[in-house]
Amino acid sequence: MSRADLAAGKVIRMSFLFRVQHLLLTVLLTVLAVTGFALMYHENSLAQWIIRLEGGVHNRGIVHRIAAVLLMANLVYHVFFMLLSREGKSEMRQLFIGRQDIDDFLQSLRYNLKMVNEYPRFGKYGYKEKFQYWGASAGIVLISVTGIMLWAEEFSMAFFPKIVLDLAIVIHGYQGLLAFAVLFLWHIYNVHLHPSVFPMNPSWITGKVSAEWLREEHPLEYEKLKEEGLL
Amino acid sequence: MKRMIRHYLAAVLAAAALLSAGLAAGATPGVSECMDCHGDKTIEKTLPDGKTVPLYVDLQAYRSSLHGTGSCVTCHADAKAPHEKLAKVDCGRCHGDAAKSYAMSSHGKVRAKGVADVPACYDCHGKHDIRKSKDPASRTFSLNIVATCLRCHKDQAIEQKYNLPDQKAMIAYEQSVHGMASKKAGLTGSAVCSDCHGNHTILPGDDPKSATFRQNIPTLCGKCHSGILEKYEKSVHGKGMRAGIAESPVCTDCHGEHTISRASDPSSSVSSRNIPKTCSGCHDKEGISSRYALPKKRFSSYMDSFHGVAVEYGMTKAANCSSCHGVHEILPSSDPASMVNKANLPKTCGKCHPNAGPNFSKGDVHVEISPKKAMGVFAVRIFYTLFIGSLAILFALHVGLELYGRWNRRKEKAPGGKEGQS
Repeated sequence: MSRADLAAGKVIRMSFLFRVQHLLLTVLLTVLAVTGFALMYHENSLAQWIIRLEGGVHNRGIVHRIAAVLLMANLVYHVFFMLLSREGKSEMRQLFIGRQDIDDFLQSLRYNLKMVNEYPRFGKYGYKEKFQYWGASAGIVLISVTGIMLWAEEFSMAFFPKIVLDLAIVIHGYQGLLAFAVLFLWHIYNVHLHPSVFPMNPSWITGKVSAEWLREEHPLEYEKLKEEGLL
Repeated sequence: MKRMIRHYLAAVLAAAALLSAGLAAGATPGVSECMDCHGDKTIEKTLPDGKTVPLYVDLQAYRSSLHGTGSCVTCHADAKAPHEKLAKVDCGRCHGDAAKSYAMSSHGKVRAKGVADVPACYDCHGKHDIRKSKDPASRTFSLNIVATCLRCHKDQAIEQKYNLPDQKAMIAYEQSVHGMASKKAGLTGSAVCSDCHGNHTILPGDDPKSATFRQNIPTLCGKCHSGILEKYEKSVHGKGMRAGIAESPVCTDCHGEHTISRASDPSSSVSSRNIPKTCSGCHDKEGISSRYALPKKRFSSYMDSFHGVAVEYGMTKAANCSSCHGVHEILPSSDPASMVNKANLPKTCGKCHPNAGPNFSKGDVHVEISPKKAMGVFAVRIFYTLFIGSLAILFALHVGLELYGRWNRRKEKAPGGKEGQS
């Protein structure tokens, strides 16, 4: 954190490498959703228009698979980054779900229902962020596995009966729908529509948030930074 | 010598005089006598309504016609020189069989009622210039037949007057595989009007005696496509048809009639893209599937599969109905010879997917998503629908609760609120 940042009351929340990973994820998931849902809802006229725009079913598949390969590469890079790099390892520790998160969740409900007066005090990642992170990770793994099975259909056919591929195609599609629902209903709310950040939490572009926001929403992280003399 | 010539001339003159006296008395005229008048391009007769009919006969055309070695009176038996209106020529005197079958045809029956629009022999064959139908100059030569028929059948006035199929059918034929082969490639073996409809015996398609009556169609097409007929006769469709089941498809039900085109032509009813619609024309009908105990939802389950979507968007190499079920040789899956018999599935799937062995072919190919037919897929769908649905509701509740809570506390924090005071 530079001196200027400190003076302006700014705190780094997403390092450059995380922002790159996040931006890739954003772009690739959008491409995958547009190409994927067009196929899933192929009888819909909008979907048909999109497929035509993409140059037919064949080209749609090529675009979808290029995006998928990049997404999986991003995922593999992310796994190595989280397990091996110093920054990643420290983030990883903060992302583990523990007893505390369940308590925090329940306490936030009680607080909002005016049963208690203390809002839970979150670290860098609260239960909302952790839920998002692990949900998305599990989803991407499941959608990648089924996607590869369908892509390498000649290979799959040698091992599985057709029912397995039938299931894979259904899981792949609905898993995509699930990811889409989580992103739109949960993530967009948390980082764009939530009153504390509206219209947008800028950290995905600038990497920084205001110290004031951090003190309000993630007080434990704020205090930790203060202790370390970074604020 | 001089005297001999004089005698000869006298004899010729006497003969000529005798001959002309004989003609005047009503003797049979020869071709050259007829041509004395009818060789004149300007002679014509005027009808009561003021129209004129040329009476000129092109001797050259007559001489090179099929009848050119005969004489005028063979047909015009009552001709004298000079003569008034002659009796109608009766071709049936020599061509008895043709006249008989013509009389039983639609053309013949209507003509017998005195309708002059309907073609008589000469409308198709010509008059003095009749040629063998094998002669490329003949009106009835294979490559000229279409033009001969279309002289009337492309005439809108005639179509409307007699409620005939409209021009669309004729134009469609000209663009069909048969029409193009005949018109563009000049193939004499290609089907022209008379090959299907008959020549003298033309009857409407709803007459059981007609060559184009539904039950006669396979035999008719089989005249040229005999190898395909043989396959069709062994198929479930062919057997059904021969057993008198009217719903069983004949050639034209899939291929069309005048519109027949190659399967490789995207507009064809049997092209890769259109075949699912063509088959489901019958196989998606509730009545047909229950009457013949056929499995249901074949069309929708196919269209929802990747094959169906790929074909719909023009990937012609993706499997359509006939890729797995066959074309003319379609058999029910219960038949051991059927391409979709359980034992043959690995081979059928293997045409495109070499790795699809017996293990792969277990289970249904057409996945009808219901608890009975595909429990796994059905359960996964239900699970995800409930999961996504309840997740969305929980998200909404959480968001609502959070906003409500924040709004509540904000009121308290504001000056005058509880917390503001403390």
